[in-house]
Amino acid sequence: MREAPKNRIAKDAIKAWRLSAALVMLVPWGLAIASFFLVHFIEVTYWYSISAVALLIVVTYFMVVIVPKIRWRRWRYELFEQEIYIQHGILVVSRTLVPMIRVQHVDTKQGPILKRYRLSNLTISTAATVHEIPALPEKEAADLRDQISELARVDEDDV
Amino acid sequence: MSNPKRLHPAAVIFRVISILRNLIFVIGATIIATMGNDFFNYIALGIAGLISLFIITSVIEWFRFRYSVVGDELRIEQGLIVRKKRYISKNRVQSIDLTQGVIHRLFNLTKVQIETAGSDLSTDASLSAVTLEEGQALRNELKYHNGETVESEYIDETEQEEEQHYTKETISTKRLVIAGSTSGSIGVIIGLFIVLFSEVERFIPTHVYDDAMSWFLTQTISVLMVLALIVLIFLWVLGILGTVIKYGNFEITRYEDELYITRGLLEKKQVTIPLKRIQALGIKESMVRQPLGFATLYVEIAGGEGGQNARTFIFPILKRNEVTPFLEKILPEYQLVANEFTGVPNRSAPYYMLRASFLPIIVLIVTLIFATDFWYLPFVLILLAMSLGWWRMKTAGYCIDQDHLIFRSRDFSKDTIMMKHNRVQSIQLRQTLLHRKQRIATVQSSILNNFAGRHAGVRELDFEHAKRITDWYSLQKRIF
Repeated sequence: MREAPKNRIAKDAIKAWRLSAALVMLVPWGLAIASFFLVHFIEVTYWYSISAVALLIVVTYFMVVIVPKIRWRRWRYELFEQEIYIQHGILVVSRTLVPMIRVQHVDTKQGPILKRYRLSNLTISTAATVHEIPALPEKEAADLRDQISELARVDEDDV
Repeated sequence: MSNPKRLHPAAVIFRVISILRNLIFVIGATIIATMGNDFFNYIALGIAGLISLFIITSVIEWFRFRYSVVGDELRIEQGLIVRKKRYISKNRVQSIDLTQGVIHRLFNLTKVQIETAGSDLSTDASLSAVTLEEGQALRNELKYHNGETVESEYIDETEQEEEQHYTKETISTKRLVIAGSTSGSIGVIIGLFIVLFSEVERFIPTHVYDDAMSWFLTQTISVLMVLALIVLIFLWVLGILGTVIKYGNFEITRYEDELYITRGLLEKKQVTIPLKRIQALGIKESMVRQPLGFATLYVEIAGGEGGQNARTFIFPILKRNEVTPFLEKILPEYQLVANEFTGVPNRSAPYYMLRASFLPIIVLIVTLIFATDFWYLPFVLILLAMSLGWWRMKTAGYCIDQDHLIFRSRDFSKDTIMMKHNRVQSIQLRQTLLHRKQRIATVQSSILNNFAGRHAGVRELDFEHAKRITDWYSLQKRIF
């Protein structure tokens, strides 16, 4: 496979991913804080809770600050007349080729967080696999979806 | 065939049997639990009532079930309370399979399964019992599109004509015995035996059981060894018998655009595989068969049979060097090119060996903590696993030509899978940071089958070769 695909996804993706990672991290933080109250009632040292918080600080830094950035940097895609070329991954980088004639349908999806940043996810399904290009600007995602479904109509194959 | 027909009355028997089979444990458990109890008579009465209820509903179901072929459609009406009508257009019918069980053969009947393209089972139709002639007529009628019907009287003649035209392959009993003795189903049968024994055990009177046990314990080790050997041989023969019964009279015929397989001594099965549904061809050589030079051929097909067995065997066993002539005759679309496989570079060996010995290493750590005296057992296991990893690395490889991609890999059996360019759904190239430094990459292709799709590929291939595969797949390069 030649060089990496050209197009990047929206820069706002980092913000959106950070927000959703932060929301997810709220749960363990809540548990950690709750543990302080629990220690108050049963006789255990505070050190368990303190080390849990220390660990959480590191994990949160990774999940919220570093991972979204690397993920954004890795995510690339490129559309050709005959195929879609996607690259993603943080530690393991995968590059995927999906021929247009194999595409069964294309979806755009948008959750509340993505909506806030006016982004949406694009999902491309073949008969056997599903591929995603996340966090594209709304307009671009819609254009891409229409474009792919137009190009996918090229051939009438069996499967 | 325009007026609606019912199934053969024997369908009632099949229906009742299938209901009872589902309930056998519940009923059996109730009977055993209440045996000798005061309520036993009532329970027995209740069960008898339940069974007669099943029989009555089955009779009504049979009465309500009608099928007919009207114009270009197969119409099925059924339903006891909720009436259901299903119309299946001839053009949508992918294949029609006839299966004859033992009871079917007593009455000269057959089961007809009509498959459509979707992998959803509910879109298929199944007639549990019709007469054999009727089944064959139905198949002929549904197979010929555009209303070009063939009268049932002529079928025998046309079939005879076809026999001269089309190539077919059969299997000898000797080969079947070889297939059975190398099938490795001994393990399965032993498992079955253990389950069966634990079920039967409770019916054996205690004193008989105790006597047998005490006799057993007084025997010398050599006698016990002989006994174990006898049991093993018995199970082995059972396995062979099972294979011979399942694949006896195996015959595969190549028609213009489909493969037609009949097999089975007791239960006769006829399967049609339309060529356009074949997604990939595989050659499997198990650890026992590979040194003997035997292989099994299978195809991955899309849609149909529904998950129960994702791959369909197109030949139970044949010599490795007979594969090419066989394919030339039966499936020329999937000619194996040369055996020039490009392997994996030696620098990938650590990945393969580590992956294989991952579990044994955990076992080693656990034993080092809890049972230090036995440290050598998992150690041997690790050595074995590492050699398996090495073996896997040596097996892994790929081969491409104009429009075929062939991957070779091993879990325990060696598996060579051959895909056409237009059957591959997508291709993925994966690299970790370490991979990138070493210039290796994992390539994976996705194909469709009737289960959930399948991934085939080569791990830790040289990057240049990995690129070659993706370039081969890329339509962009092909055109410019």
